[in-house]
Amino acid sequence: MKYKTFAAFVGPSIFLMLLFIAAPLVSVFMQSFYVTQPIFETVEVETCTPGFPTQTCVTETKTQPVLGDDGRVVTAVRYVGLESYRNVLEPERALAALSALNFNALLTIDFWKALRFTLTFTLVTLPLVIGVGLAIAIAVNNASRLIRGPIIFVSLLPFIITPVIGALSIRWLFIGDGIMTAFLEWWLNQDIAMFAQGWTIELLMMFYRVWHVAPFAFVVFYAGLQTVNQDTLESAVIDGASRWERLRFVIIPHLMPLIIFISLIHLMDSYRVFEEIVGFSSQAYRISLQWLTYDLLTPDDSGNRSISRASASAMLTMVGIIVLLVPLLRRTWRDHRGGRL
Amino acid sequence: MLKKLLLAGAMSLAVTGVAAACDFENTVPVKSLSAGFEAWKAVTDAMAECGDFEAELDQEFRTKQPAAFAANPSLYQIGGVANGTMVPLLNEGTIRPLDDLVEKYGQNLTPNQLIKIDGQVMAIAMMVNAQHLMYREDIFNDLGISVPTTYDEVLEAAAKIKEAGIVEYPIGGTFKTGWNLGEEFINMYLGMGGQFFADDNTPTIDNEQGVATLDMLKKLTAFMDPEYLVSDSTYVQQQFQQGKIAMANLWASRAGAMDDPNESQVVGKVKMAGAPKAAERAASTLWWDGIVIAKNASDEEAEAAFRVAMNGMTPAMVEANNDVAVWLIQGYEPGPLAVGVVETAQAGALPYPASSQMGLMHTALGNGVADYLTGAKDAETTLKDIAAAYTTSAKEAGLIQ
Amino acid sequence: MSLPRSMQQPTALRLTSAGFLTFWCLLAAFPIFWIAVMSFKDPIDAFSSNPVSVIFGPETVATGRGLSIVSIVVGIAFLWYTVHLALNTLPRLIRDMTPPHLMIAGWIIGPLVFAILFLIVFLGILPPVLSAVNAVLGPLGKPILGLTTEHYQAVWVENEFYENFINSLIVTAGVVLVSLTVGTLAGYGLARSGSSLAFWILIIALVFRALPHSVLVAGYLPPFINSAEILKPILGEAAPTLYGKPWAVIAVLVSINQPFTIWMLRSFFQNIPNDLDEAARVDGCTHFQAFRWVIMPVMWPGVITTGLFSFLLAYNDYLVCSLLLDAQNQTMVPAIAGYFNRETTTTDQVEAVAAAVSIIAPLFLLIMIFQRQIVSGLTAGAVKG
Repeated sequence: MKYKTFAAFVGPSIFLMLLFIAAPLVSVFMQSFYVTQPIFETVEVETCTPGFPTQTCVTETKTQPVLGDDGRVVTAVRYVGLESYRNVLEPERALAALSALNFNALLTIDFWKALRFTLTFTLVTLPLVIGVGLAIAIAVNNASRLIRGPIIFVSLLPFIITPVIGALSIRWLFIGDGIMTAFLEWWLNQDIAMFAQGWTIELLMMFYRVWHVAPFAFVVFYAGLQTVNQDTLESAVIDGASRWERLRFVIIPHLMPLIIFISLIHLMDSYRVFEEIVGFSSQAYRISLQWLTYDLLTPDDSGNRSISRASASAMLTMVGIIVLLVPLLRRTWRDHRGGRL
Repeated sequence: MLKKLLLAGAMSLAVTGVAAACDFENTVPVKSLSAGFEAWKAVTDAMAECGDFEAELDQEFRTKQPAAFAANPSLYQIGGVANGTMVPLLNEGTIRPLDDLVEKYGQNLTPNQLIKIDGQVMAIAMMVNAQHLMYREDIFNDLGISVPTTYDEVLEAAAKIKEAGIVEYPIGGTFKTGWNLGEEFINMYLGMGGQFFADDNTPTIDNEQGVATLDMLKKLTAFMDPEYLVSDSTYVQQQFQQGKIAMANLWASRAGAMDDPNESQVVGKVKMAGAPKAAERAASTLWWDGIVIAKNASDEEAEAAFRVAMNGMTPAMVEANNDVAVWLIQGYEPGPLAVGVVETAQAGALPYPASSQMGLMHTALGNGVADYLTGAKDAETTLKDIAAAYTTSAKEAGLIQ
Repeated sequence: MSLPRSMQQPTALRLTSAGFLTFWCLLAAFPIFWIAVMSFKDPIDAFSSNPVSVIFGPETVATGRGLSIVSIVVGIAFLWYTVHLALNTLPRLIRDMTPPHLMIAGWIIGPLVFAILFLIVFLGILPPVLSAVNAVLGPLGKPILGLTTEHYQAVWVENEFYENFINSLIVTAGVVLVSLTVGTLAGYGLARSGSSLAFWILIIALVFRALPHSVLVAGYLPPFINSAEILKPILGEAAPTLYGKPWAVIAVLVSINQPFTIWMLRSFFQNIPNDLDEAARVDGCTHFQAFRWVIMPVMWPGVITTGLFSFLLAYNDYLVCSLLLDAQNQTMVPAIAGYFNRETTTTDQVEAVAAAVSIIAPLFLLIMIFQRQIVSGLTAGAVKG
């Protein structure tokens, strides 16, 4: 294909991605090295607010930004180098904790706490999603044709429903005296509060993620199973391969590209875990990297947001994702090379 | 079903017909952006009677408001703000003084409604809100407990209720990590007589009052549902309604729901009182909600916007929505539900000390206090870490040199 | 079944497999079933800790709102029949009735008509007929299962949720159409070009897909709000304020979704034999003509599947829509978050649950109708990974 034709085909897509993904990304990258601050002045201000029976007036010194001639706040942009990264990573405290082998101290630093949770979350749910997805796919494939349709339909439900709603629906089952908690209390005969300690919330979040994503893995694997070469399977049977051996040596190798595809998608999606933190309000116990960025970006009541630190934290998250993806990307690269030769 | 739909339609038409009580016909397009709670709904509905008015009740208004008001022309003429959310607008100079408009159209306003900064009216308040004590009168009477006025009495009462085993958890608390928990700390710390900042904006929470505050919060949690770190005001309100808790320091705007027969199983049993005192004064802060007018709008738009806003804050509106909030507007009949706020104010509770620094401190507290309550850190370390977190953000914002 | 003996399953395996599937289906459906039940009850019943009162709703029945046995039986029969129609008759009808080049329109209009008909019969015709029947039947016609639709009325009539619904439809339809148009072109170009450039575009797209959305989205807000000022030198007075415009959000969502779309479509196109368009090119077609006349007719399974994923992304999006749309143009998912964030009462919460169920319902219908297309589309394409 000529370069020009190629450009014409790919152009619109590239343009959109450059405008709406690459451009913000570049600005985030730049912002992580600069801070923008208003010029402040200190003034005496009298503020009167409602009170009973009459207004209360307070005079206090306030630090407030200086307004320029155009009526806008005068700001100064300052190059700070890696300071924002240092503020996020807190290397001195982290190193001190590490050299004392005190992991609890390390985990009191937001970034490391978030990294710990994000990595655990990603790496624990990955095999579960693939395993559960594969198990359902094989079970459905073995089921009679009559009931396959309804089962596929029901299985897809957790995947299609809006993530926020899915997380809330699970939360309602467990929070306070939600019926699932009530059931567990009756079954185990002890008082249970699922949202009162970190590890139970973490379990719930992982459960929700597997519940939500396994159907996607299932439907992809199920589609893959439809193309398994029946001749190979039959010859394996003739060779006396047991059911397990057929699964191990014929079916799984056949599905391998799909398993990699699902792993890739799942690694990317779960590394930026966010909905679960909000849906299960786990901030007190567990936070994730994307939540950390989001929290830094959310303005407080007085409109402050830590843009520079948020940018630094976002860049660090990205580096993490790329590191996780490298092994899978190298494989794609080899395939690409091989495909061309 | 269809018939019902039609009926509903007819009813809403009829209501519009009766309540069309705007004193002028608005022809200048006016838009407002505010939070989305019930009182705003009531006020903006009344404003809409004037015509050519669009209200936006948006849960993202904190993010959108400063940016939308800084645009030229401003995307909204009217903004709904509270103590805290007025700060960025004031700092960036995107709202206008209202003195001349108040003089022209503000005949119905009471002096208490005028929010003055250095003598200039910058906002018009419509309601106040504060966290104050709500308690189950029946339980307190049965056990012969008098209404606690200090936090030590709260703990005693809670211990008695726990012993009697009448409810699952004696105390409810809006201790959800983040804004809610930060607010609880601020209430208690101010009640203990604490100071947040030195003159150069450096934090001063790492002191005895800070430790005493954390200590008291932790003592309270011993009587709470163990899931307190995820319980916000809606959840506490629900616990009250289901009869699971006996008292809580809850927002005045929630008081009405206790007597709603559709939701509550404790109708008529929940009574209001002022916020209990900590060492120094009532451990609560006073909040107000009100409107501001954009600076980046033409004078004509601003005038129309102000007149529309005034038509939202009428005695007729208050009459129709008396129990929705503790109104500051003329015509409000303070019912039993308003007792809590008034008593809290009289017990010396301070207005929420909104400022840029306070915003940063609130966030740092909201994220940091939980570590002490869960036992991950001791009190001194917790306070030191919160102070450090605040210092980092304040340096980044340029508040500390 | 003419399977060879050795391929048949031993009973134990069958039982395990059946048990596992039953368990999974329960697990998959239960939370959704449960919020659906909650949405029809009084607040006191809905948040009761006793599951029996949530299901039967004693408080709701006590106020005289509920279903009798007869109503339940008729209702279930009707629902069953609807599912049957949606799964079997509807796809066949659409295939038979629409000319091939209008297939997409057929697949959009068919389900819409079906959904509207269903709503008219289920909500408009059945209730009055059944209440007349119940009045005659006596004890059999007495309500036993608490059920009230007042929360749905509050959501759809009083709170005008249909406006959010229409906004959601606009955004979703826009995203699916634009995303597929741009994506098929790019996917085809990437599949047919073996150059290193194509490879690197794909890898960079993959990295883009991995980006946390909150970072991007927060960056959009200031330029979107000030776009009128920013674009004035270029566009003059016609410069639009992008904030609050559905088409601007469509552009954002399309871009965010582009990496996934082009990866999916590329693998579909790779599975369409190269000889097909080579032959057309030998006959003198340009690449575009080959694409239009040779590839387009055979690419539908892949496009439908990819389109469904775009649909889910746009329909379920929260972060982008909540920040970049104003209330007049707000879509459904951010709109229900409003129920939670404002000073919520318990009634508000049940209304939010009703709204949530309303949001899920169209997805139900969608999956019912497209289920086979998803599987066959994935079978056709994604096997290569």
